[in-house]
Amino acid sequence: MDKDTLRRLEMLNQLSLTEAQKEDVIAFFEKRDSELSVLEAIDTENTERMVHVMPIMTVVREDVVKKQFAREELQKGAPDTDEGYWCVPRVVE
Amino acid sequence: MKIYTAKIDTASALKVVADDMILTTACPTAAGSKMLDGYMSLFESEALTRLKNAGFELCGKTDVGEFAIDLLGETSYNGACTDGEKILNPTAEAVKANEAAIALTLDVNGSVRRAAAQNDLVSIKPTYGTVSRYGTIPVACSGETVSLLASSAGVLKEALDIIAGHDDKDGTSLSEELCASLKKDAPTSPVKRVAYFANMFEGVSECIAQKANAFCEILKKNGIEVVEVEESVIAASRVAWNILMSAELCNNVSRYDGVKYGYRTQNFTNLDELYTNTRTEAFGELLKTAILFGSETLSTDNYFKVYDKALRTRRIIVEAFAKIFESFDAVLMPACSKTEYTTQDIEANKYLAFEENLYTAPASITGLPAVVTGGVQLVGKAFSEKALLDAAEIYEKESK
Repeated sequence: MDKDTLRRLEMLNQLSLTEAQKEDVIAFFEKRDSELSVLEAIDTENTERMVHVMPIMTVVREDVVKKQFAREELQKGAPDTDEGYWCVPRVVE
Repeated sequence: MKIYTAKIDTASALKVVADDMILTTACPTAAGSKMLDGYMSLFESEALTRLKNAGFELCGKTDVGEFAIDLLGETSYNGACTDGEKILNPTAEAVKANEAAIALTLDVNGSVRRAAAQNDLVSIKPTYGTVSRYGTIPVACSGETVSLLASSAGVLKEALDIIAGHDDKDGTSLSEELCASLKKDAPTSPVKRVAYFANMFEGVSECIAQKANAFCEILKKNGIEVVEVEESVIAASRVAWNILMSAELCNNVSRYDGVKYGYRTQNFTNLDELYTNTRTEAFGELLKTAILFGSETLSTDNYFKVYDKALRTRRIIVEAFAKIFESFDAVLMPACSKTEYTTQDIEANKYLAFEENLYTAPASITGLPAVVTGGVQLVGKAFSEKALLDAAEIYEKESK
């Protein structure tokens, strides 16, 4: 992990670290990289991935509306709204 | 020392306290994060609804670490709950003080199990899919489970009987038929043979080792065979779980951007700054590191080498447990390496939660049930909660 890669990860995740935090995160990544040997030692070549641990099937259900919330209720916790819309800074100049 | 994020006066004898990962409509849910400070949900957790329908009353919310990925709750934006030096878990403190008969929690990275072990309480992390996760803050969806904490196994049996069952609102909820084995009146196959994971006890404190020995002695006295077993693959759970948990967390917290709800920075001139400054100001250090780590594991360069490898390792671990359960009914392992964590421990290693989960990751990554009692952890076959709690009751009775 180098600082350029970390900067790319920060941009992808909309985060901005201080220099001290960057040092900490790089140290964390280096430690985690060294731990990957634990997994590399396990032969998984003929093993299928396991996404769900239980026999879970894709849920198919009738498209029935059961409960609806009013727009005002849904937007109660919003930082900025106007006439039922969420407000963000101007995107198109 | 902040235990509650909200407290409700109730005269009910059947009180339940919910940790701050459980959505409630009576009080805010912040997941221990500045990002959700003051957030009021429009709906509540299905497990809490079921408890309320059975006569329980919510007496408050307890603080958690940011998105419940830390040791005991020390990364909450409210600050760590401590006695000056020792880190305390707010939910365990509420139960210990008899302020609630039970606590409803979300077990993401084992904090509730560590808290149970360090406070002589009893906890149950049920089989994945048997208790609805509807109405919880999603973090690591493939392994996190709604769990319970109480001062005795008997109370947990009653509460589990209430909250277990299929829920249409949770896409990962198992069928009613499968969940039925957790109900009070379901037949139980008792724990007769326990595998003692000797290598998992290497490196634990003397006190934890003593607790394990005392636990084994009580089991043996009651006719339960305890056999020392060496198992190396299961220890890889920690590394694999850290990868899967961080990857899922990274996706789940991507929704917090300061637009639709939650915190918004005051410091922005364009949309990009709004997103970045909101997340940078609102998220704590441990969470940011986990987000970046999760993001990296999912990147093109690392997907197969890291994320895909962790998913395949998960199957190997599930198979390793299955093999053990051909000869044993449960596995005994620690829930934590020592009986307390201090603020100095965190100062020395701020990522300790990603190492101490060596003991909690096996049950998280496999979805197996785990009961913590007597300071140690019993991991059982899927749907064996009642048998594990029966074993916990044997310990309780004998240790008094």
